[in-house]
Amino acid sequence: MVIDTHIRPALYAPICQDKEAFRKRCDEMNYHLMGPASIDLLKEQYALADIEHVFLLPEDCSAETGTASISNEDIAKLVACDPEMFWGFASVDPRNADAEEKLIQAFEEYKLLGLYVNTARLHIYPNDPRLMKLYDICARMDKPIIFQAGLCLERNALSKFCHPMEFEEIAAKYPDTNICLAHVGWPCVQETAALLIKYPNLYTNTALMNFDGPYQIYHKVFLEDMGQYWVEHNIADQVMFGSDSPRIRPVRSKRGLDSLNFSKDTMEKICWKNALRFLKREV
Amino acid sequence: MKFELKEISIRAKQEFEMINITQQVKDTVRECGISNGIVYVITEHTTTGITVNEALPCVEKDIMQTLDRLIPENYPYNHNHYLPSYGTIGGNTPGHLKSLLTGNHCVFPIVEGKVKLGSAADIYFCEYDGIKNRKYMIYVMGE
Repeated sequence: MVIDTHIRPALYAPICQDKEAFRKRCDEMNYHLMGPASIDLLKEQYALADIEHVFLLPEDCSAETGTASISNEDIAKLVACDPEMFWGFASVDPRNADAEEKLIQAFEEYKLLGLYVNTARLHIYPNDPRLMKLYDICARMDKPIIFQAGLCLERNALSKFCHPMEFEEIAAKYPDTNICLAHVGWPCVQETAALLIKYPNLYTNTALMNFDGPYQIYHKVFLEDMGQYWVEHNIADQVMFGSDSPRIRPVRSKRGLDSLNFSKDTMEKICWKNALRFLKREV
Repeated sequence: MKFELKEISIRAKQEFEMINITQQVKDTVRECGISNGIVYVITEHTTTGITVNEALPCVEKDIMQTLDRLIPENYPYNHNHYLPSYGTIGGNTPGHLKSLLTGNHCVFPIVEGKVKLGSAADIYFCEYDGIKNRKYMIYVMGE
């Protein structure tokens, strides 16, 4: 079994019916020349990588864009298509006055499992007081947080706002809240790894989409940028599989991971056990 | 001279798969009512192929395994890079190269209303970059 902890459902057909909204979303998130895909086709593609559950990550920068690129309502709609397979996260724009109210609604009414935050797009640092209020809600309601970390390929995104070290303060302040720094914080891989060994509530995911193909990217990040034994001997409990689809096909990401020849125990942790622990579910 | 174009939708069940479409081609030719002419089968995609071979599972397996040996997944292809025009990584070079080797079409004569195939010849749609919704064309010309 595999759990993909990083899918942006921008092209999921059930939320692509409004052509203008779809075009606007693709412009904002920087996805081009691709069309909507049906849920049944996506499921067949995911099955190629043995993916049984996926985290669906939304995008709300509505203080800037007017409407959320992928709203909590969109995520709830997709989760309803297959609640067993689709595990939805929430996003709210902390620059809006009703952000806290919307986050509570996402957790209580839509039953979303955690919060996704992209500070690169929001142009605010992770310790911004407006965000702290949202973390307080997550801590109180025992919800995990996934942060965009490192380079963000979306339009109008500035990576200085999501350098991995910017999240240390949050990891320290909320030790009982599970926090994921996505993309191994690439290109700041060593900084991300350093934080992982210090903070047991920190996780990362393998959602890598930058240079070369998956075989080359995964080798460079996990066996060159990191020492050969860092994952196996140090942070095996904190790395989760994530594809970053639709920027890369999940089955290709999985091949990149497979090519690292990690031990069976470590692969089980990366592929699904850590994701369940991140959600505080029974492994 | 009569011309008939039919566009067929197809979806593989696997990422890489040879799908026998011989019967579909035969049926299309029969339905169009052309007695003598020619039929083209053409894929619309650049990571799929159309080829002709013997419909034995062992032969199909040998073809796909040989293509995998010639064009390995993990080679550092030039196309493996971030494509700003898509916002994605180009990860399907093997599909493009296998498509190149297989070709994008096949052609057969139509004689007395039937496709004139060799006794061991079957027509395949080859998926090299699935799973996706695909299309191929059957173009019939004749009288």
